[in-house]
Amino acid sequence: MTQNSGKNTLAAEFVLGLLDAKAQADAERRIATDAVFAREVEQWRTRFAEFDQTADQMAADEGLWQRIEFSTQQAPRPEKSEGVWTTLWNSLTAWRTATAFAAVTAVTLGFVSVASMQFARDVAARKPVYVAILVNDNTKDAGAVVNAFADGRVEMIPLTDINVPDDKALEIWTLWDRSVGPRSVGLIDKSRSIRLNLDALPKTGENQLFEITLEPKTGSPIGRPTGPILFKGTTSRAL
Amino acid sequence: MTKAPDQALEAQISAAIVRCAGGDRSALRVIYDLEASRMTGVAMRILRRKDLAEEAVHDAFMRVWRGARGFDPARGMGRPWLFAIVRNRALSILRDEGRFESDDGDAPEPEPDLAVSQLPESSALRRCLEQLEPRRRAAVVLAYVHGLSHGELAGRLGVPLGTAKSWTRRGLISLQECMG
Repeated sequence: MTQNSGKNTLAAEFVLGLLDAKAQADAERRIATDAVFAREVEQWRTRFAEFDQTADQMAADEGLWQRIEFSTQQAPRPEKSEGVWTTLWNSLTAWRTATAFAAVTAVTLGFVSVASMQFARDVAARKPVYVAILVNDNTKDAGAVVNAFADGRVEMIPLTDINVPDDKALEIWTLWDRSVGPRSVGLIDKSRSIRLNLDALPKTGENQLFEITLEPKTGSPIGRPTGPILFKGTTSRAL
Repeated sequence: MTKAPDQALEAQISAAIVRCAGGDRSALRVIYDLEASRMTGVAMRILRRKDLAEEAVHDAFMRVWRGARGFDPARGMGRPWLFAIVRNRALSILRDEGRFESDDGDAPEPEPDLAVSQLPESSALRRCLEQLEPRRRAAVVLAYVHGLSHGELAGRLGVPLGTAKSWTRRGLISLQECMG
């Protein structure tokens, strides 16, 4: 766990992006909990940053900005990342470091249990509770999958490239109560993965309808689907 | 090492990221105006396709907007933070999303010494890289500038995977000793 700063290339390899996916993700998390490692990463980023300035400048036009602005308007503002787990993790890490030589056994036990709970939480976070496959009624082609997670996150991942005219957009809706009607939960300019915004809605449940319609570029003007339904499907409990 | 205009730009970017964290959308536009063209260039060196490079920049700005609170100006500089995000996004498109056709015949093989020669004469990074054994230098530069993985480095340099890893590590260790 201690840094052997002269010979340890982990931070440098992380900055280069050379670690395998799991090690890369572990290192990313470690930045938040290990100040020494975070400083090494920062040093390597700063060292290599000079290379970034040698890249050719390529015209970044108004169109790209509009796409960015559009996406940020759809994106819910972030919650603060520190949940109770992160806090617990941080405090245990600090504690473990401080007492590393004094209480090796106790510390190791503490570390293992938190690490395994962290792992369990990561797995739970990755595995959806409900899944919906959105299908086109006519062609029966599957167009997208919607995953709803235990923590309330809902994402849509396209399975096919959807042809969207320049002046149109794809709007995603959900219907959980016919008396309330469909609610818009996302708007995208082309077929791509998106985190749906269901924060203001009741928690996603079984048999909840999701559908994608073709709408004007800024979304349906009336808050209800106006264009053709491209794909739709209802949630089932994931196995 | 850094010139005064760079320091001014760094200060502007750091301040704009902090304003983004407060929900100030105009600050995101400031970052776009100052750095988007360079960010596109960085992504282009890795992805070699303009549409994918723009996607990486788009996604990077989304991350800046959502993740600006994770930036702490007391702990690090804004521009390296910003470029790390676009590089990571480009690498992720390149590696994880499996829709990159690497065998497009038009694009020339990336040339490691070209990027080094584009660094300013006064650059410590340049001086230290030039002191490295050429193949170690090539491994480090191709990995950072063009996003090559260990496996791709091995293929490009015509050596076994273990050798590519070892050259990269030794290159990095020498670089750290030289740059302090």
